[in-house]
Amino acid sequence: MDWLEDELRRALAREDAPDGLAERVMARRALAPSGAPRWLAAAAMVVVAVGAGGAWRQHQGNQAKQEVMLALRLASAPVQHIQSEIRGITQ
Amino acid sequence: MLTEAVETGCDFKALVRQHQATVFSIALHFLRDRASAEEVAQEVFFSLHRNLARIETPAHAAAWLRKVAVQRAIDEGRRRSRRPQVALEDVAEPAAGVRPGDPLLSELLRKLVATLPEAPRMVMVLRYQEDLEPAEIAAALEMPVATVKSHLQRSLALLRGKLARRGIGESGWTG
Repeated sequence: MDWLEDELRRALAREDAPDGLAERVMARRALAPSGAPRWLAAAAMVVVAVGAGGAWRQHQGNQAKQEVMLALRLASAPVQHIQSEIRGITQ
Repeated sequence: MLTEAVETGCDFKALVRQHQATVFSIALHFLRDRASAEEVAQEVFFSLHRNLARIETPAHAAAWLRKVAVQRAIDEGRRRSRRPQVALEDVAEPAAGVRPGDPLLSELLRKLVATLPEAPRMVMVLRYQEDLEPAEIAAALEMPVATVKSHLQRSLALLRGKLARRGIGESGWTG
């Protein structure tokens, strides 16, 4: 074996990686988004936002409908009472 | 096989631990900068994670990592344009006489290798760090085997001449 090649093997021997390199790589991997393309992730977010908006509007509609029905029931109660009183008098 | 690593993360971590010294050292010996070498190593393993489903065997993983480390290190070297910063004439003489195996000689050789142009420098790193045969180096660098052999011969002759002018050689060690 050539002396220079021996010295080059010694000079260019593998060195240990810095402490914690593997952990830093794993942390970087954990922080990274999944394999899905960015446009797909953005599209998914839009769908979720639109769906949530629709559900909120439906919830608000149902609540308003229940309030109207309650108001009608409250308003009709005195009328029904007067009608029953009139029926009693006429009979 | 290795695709399971995408789900568990275990095999990926094992691959990182197994090959981190190789990847880091390729970048370190090529760039001669530890911070840049670590950055390159992180990028290489991050790229491995994204491409893990394509890796078929442990041997494939080793070859893939070596090739990507070579490419990323060369890219980083071009980006930073480090090579012109060290000219052969700028390499300092060892402070004292050197003997075979002397750390001063190792440091001098690393500096001399760093002055080589991009392609022969990476050829030298793969040959003497990784102990690769010319055909394997040719595959990693995507160049003809004859070119690899030519780079090796010319680089060795250049280094031998530079060392001889410093009185360093088989027949005339200093000190």
